[in-house]
Amino acid sequence: MNPIELSHIPFAAIGAGLSAIGAGIGIGLLWAFGLQSMARQPELLPKIQVSMFIGAALVEGVALFALVICFLQR
Amino acid sequence: MLDHEPSSQELVSDFINEHVLNHSPNGHTWNLPFLHVSALDWLRYDWVMLGVAIVVTVALAALAARRHRPTPTGISNAFEAFVVFVRDSIAIANLGEEEGQRMTSYFCSLFLFILTLNILGLVPFCSSATGNVGVTCAMALMFLILAVGMAIVRRGVLGFLSSFVPHGAPLVLMPILVPIEVISLLIRAIALMVRLFANMLAGHIVILAMLGLVVMFGYLTFLPVIAVAVALVLFEVFVAIFQAYIFTLLSAIFIGLMLNTEH
Repeated sequence: MNPIELSHIPFAAIGAGLSAIGAGIGIGLLWAFGLQSMARQPELLPKIQVSMFIGAALVEGVALFALVICFLQR
Repeated sequence: MLDHEPSSQELVSDFINEHVLNHSPNGHTWNLPFLHVSALDWLRYDWVMLGVAIVVTVALAALAARRHRPTPTGISNAFEAFVVFVRDSIAIANLGEEEGQRMTSYFCSLFLFILTLNILGLVPFCSSATGNVGVTCAMALMFLILAVGMAIVRRGVLGFLSSFVPHGAPLVLMPILVPIEVISLLIRAIALMVRLFANMLAGHIVILAMLGLVVMFGYLTFLPVIAVAVALVLFEVFVAIFQAYIFTLLSAIFIGLMLNTEH
């Protein structure tokens, strides 16, 4: 294809959407295992909750790296 | 600027760009709402918001310290609960007893400062200074200087350099492992900076894009769009508090990792 014809495809938005897939999978797995462990040992609930939030922030940080690069392209 | 009638999509993207530029160095100057005092034309949004955050943090701490009675009541009580929370779960849990006791004032002020800056973004006529990557870069630089400085003070320069050499790894792999360890420290600081900045900026952009749907699709989409925008603003409040907590907690954890004497 002629490269000029591709200018209407929003590659930045596609990249941002793809990075959201990774974030969704990561946070979903994290909370799944966290909920399972909270159900097994309810007395460790505060510690597990704090660890889950920290993990969620780290995973979202990675997804937001990709988002920032998509901002830079536009 | 445009030589044709701007389409609705261009209107929306111009509107979003103009609001986003408030966060950047070339952004609009700040002035009083509904007035225009030309003497204030050199002020920028970020500086004003940073000044307000400094004033609010110092005033809150001073107010809580002044009304100190043997059993604290009111604002002293709330502030004391907050400081005890920061000291026990953030400072002492990650830095040990005496270091945690000394560093708890730094973490308290960092938490309140970032919290004020984040929440100011949701107030009308204000913007969040943490949506400017320079502000978060300065905070991440402060964390980096603290981590390196405290590690050097506690373990000496040689001890600090030896913390990059993982224990018990074969010598052949050293040229690969040591640069990876150094880069991981820098990446932690950069991640702190980008996480806070992108969370604040993306929240604002999503709300503005939702409101832009009304411009693009006509006035009948008004009610659902406003409902979703209100829900997003409420979510932004949670994100503001959470990101302030995560910045403080992660900087405490990473400083604790640098101070470890196990390697």
